[in-house]
Amino acid sequence: MQQHTRITKASFIGAAELKSAAMPRGQPLHKLLVAFSAAYFTGAFVTDLVYWQMPDVVWERFSIWLITAGLAIAGLAVVVYVIELAGIRRIDAPVWPRVVGYSLAVLLSLINAFVHSRDGYTAVVPSGLMLSATVILVLFATAWVDRAFANRLVLEHKI
Amino acid sequence: MTRTPQIARAAKLPHLAAFVAIAGLGLAGCDDHAGDPKMQIGANPVMPALQQYLMPPMRIAKAVGWGTDTTPTVPQGLQIRALASGFAHPRSLYVLPNGDVLVVESNGPKAPIYRPKDIITGWVQGFAGAKAKDANRITLLRDTNGDGIPEVRTVFLDHLNSPFGIALVGNDLYVANTDAIIRYPYQAGQTSITAAGTKLTDLPGGPIDHHWTKSLLASPDGSKLYVGVGSNSNITENGIGAEYERAAIWEVDRASGAHRIFASGVRNPTGLAWEPETGKLWAVANERDEIGPDLVPDYLTSVRDGGFYGWPYSYYGQHLDPRVEPQRPDLVATAIAPDYALSSHVAPLGVVMYTGTALPENYRSGAFVSEHGSWNRTPLNGYKVVFVPFSGGKPSGPAQDVVTGFLDMDNHARGRPVGLAVDRTGGLLIADDVGNTVWRVSSSLPPGSTPKPGT
Repeated sequence: MQQHTRITKASFIGAAELKSAAMPRGQPLHKLLVAFSAAYFTGAFVTDLVYWQMPDVVWERFSIWLITAGLAIAGLAVVVYVIELAGIRRIDAPVWPRVVGYSLAVLLSLINAFVHSRDGYTAVVPSGLMLSATVILVLFATAWVDRAFANRLVLEHKI
Repeated sequence: MTRTPQIARAAKLPHLAAFVAIAGLGLAGCDDHAGDPKMQIGANPVMPALQQYLMPPMRIAKAVGWGTDTTPTVPQGLQIRALASGFAHPRSLYVLPNGDVLVVESNGPKAPIYRPKDIITGWVQGFAGAKAKDANRITLLRDTNGDGIPEVRTVFLDHLNSPFGIALVGNDLYVANTDAIIRYPYQAGQTSITAAGTKLTDLPGGPIDHHWTKSLLASPDGSKLYVGVGSNSNITENGIGAEYERAAIWEVDRASGAHRIFASGVRNPTGLAWEPETGKLWAVANERDEIGPDLVPDYLTSVRDGGFYGWPYSYYGQHLDPRVEPQRPDLVATAIAPDYALSSHVAPLGVVMYTGTALPENYRSGAFVSEHGSWNRTPLNGYKVVFVPFSGGKPSGPAQDVVTGFLDMDNHARGRPVGLAVDRTGGLLIADDVGNTVWRVSSSLPPGSTPKPGT
């Protein structure tokens, strides 16, 4: 609801900006960081799969460092997002699906970091592996919902 | 207690709870109370089902040291005094035939960082006073007139490499560094050794060297040396390859330096002793962590030639540890349950079989065990020296507290007991690596009298 209010206000400010909602000219920095962290979490899922098939500790170590790096970048993304919010001038699709979805993925990854800090096989199998997979599913679902919202926004405003 | 605030807050969200359930997580509850340690003393410890944690419990005792005039406490019939203090992390003790006391001042090599967890662990250990600088030396104390105050204090051996065990056979003094046994020539009465040592054999050392202490004991005839070599991990998280010839008691031939594995599957055999009645080898060992406040009890056990004691695949016989993959059912089938549990996470680091006559009669047959104290259990456990009575070469009753008071009212550690030894006059010596003191326990009664019962 909040977002609709903002969009309306923004629409008054400059209808010319509408086009950038559909085809943003420059990506905001936080989106880049989010993509980075998502790639780290995906990497951890891959190394978890390898460990599951071939339990050599090196893969478990890859996973926990990838998850840790993903969490660090996620933290940075939040900071950058807040800064960008403060200076917002652009029209955007509703952000709440992204915020909720990404927050859930980060929270699950935080739990996953603790699970991956266990000693031995059960640091990955089964809980860690399942969490890594769930994080990927959440990230995909978030991207899909976000895209659906963005498309609807474009349709609404194209009229 | 066992969760971070973030997770505790997050757990209230229903959708997260659903995801957690999907992920099949066994979340550790906040009502994670430890049982009575008394239930885990002796031959048949009560052991709960194992649990795995998101955030393993950490409960360290902050190191505060002894103030002036504060000492550990002992029961009636005994007295305790500092033999000497001002040491740098004294870990183990050895009494030479002429009565000189050797104090091994040592600490482990720097632990490598393989996972983010290792950074946290190192930080927590710093709080508990376990990160003291490694002095790498042995100090000699000589009390000529037997008044309990050493007149001579010299640096006996310097520039060692995380030493722990010492054994003297004739004129050969063996020091177990973390990576090798070194032989030095020793003449009775010597107060320092400057001669270069000769390596008898390498021992499993770095680069990980998770359990770095190498306990050492010579056979009665002097032909063999027994070495306690701890595992290179809590539970194989550094890979099974890092455990080659570790978690074992080695038998080293003194003449050739050749070794064989005398017993295996002992996670960290920190102290070795001969049982005087049967002549059998006994050991204290530290068991695995992070599967509960009451798992796995540390133990005192006789060590059988060729025996396998479970680590890492199982504990107390056939209790499987799911954290090890692949499992080895063939080995688990042969796993021996240790003789005597000391309760969980007490961290026994020293053992002596008492054969003297200077202490009151109730201490004259049995083993003193020093319990360095827990770091991952609430309430704290250990932080004392106990006496396990023996009869017929076997433990014959519950462990009795002998030296306590290492914790203050706020559960801060004034000291932590490590190595034990019996001095020439039959007093019990205790190395305290947080209080940086060597304590001496002796009888407070005139010779020949017995203490009142019920003390």
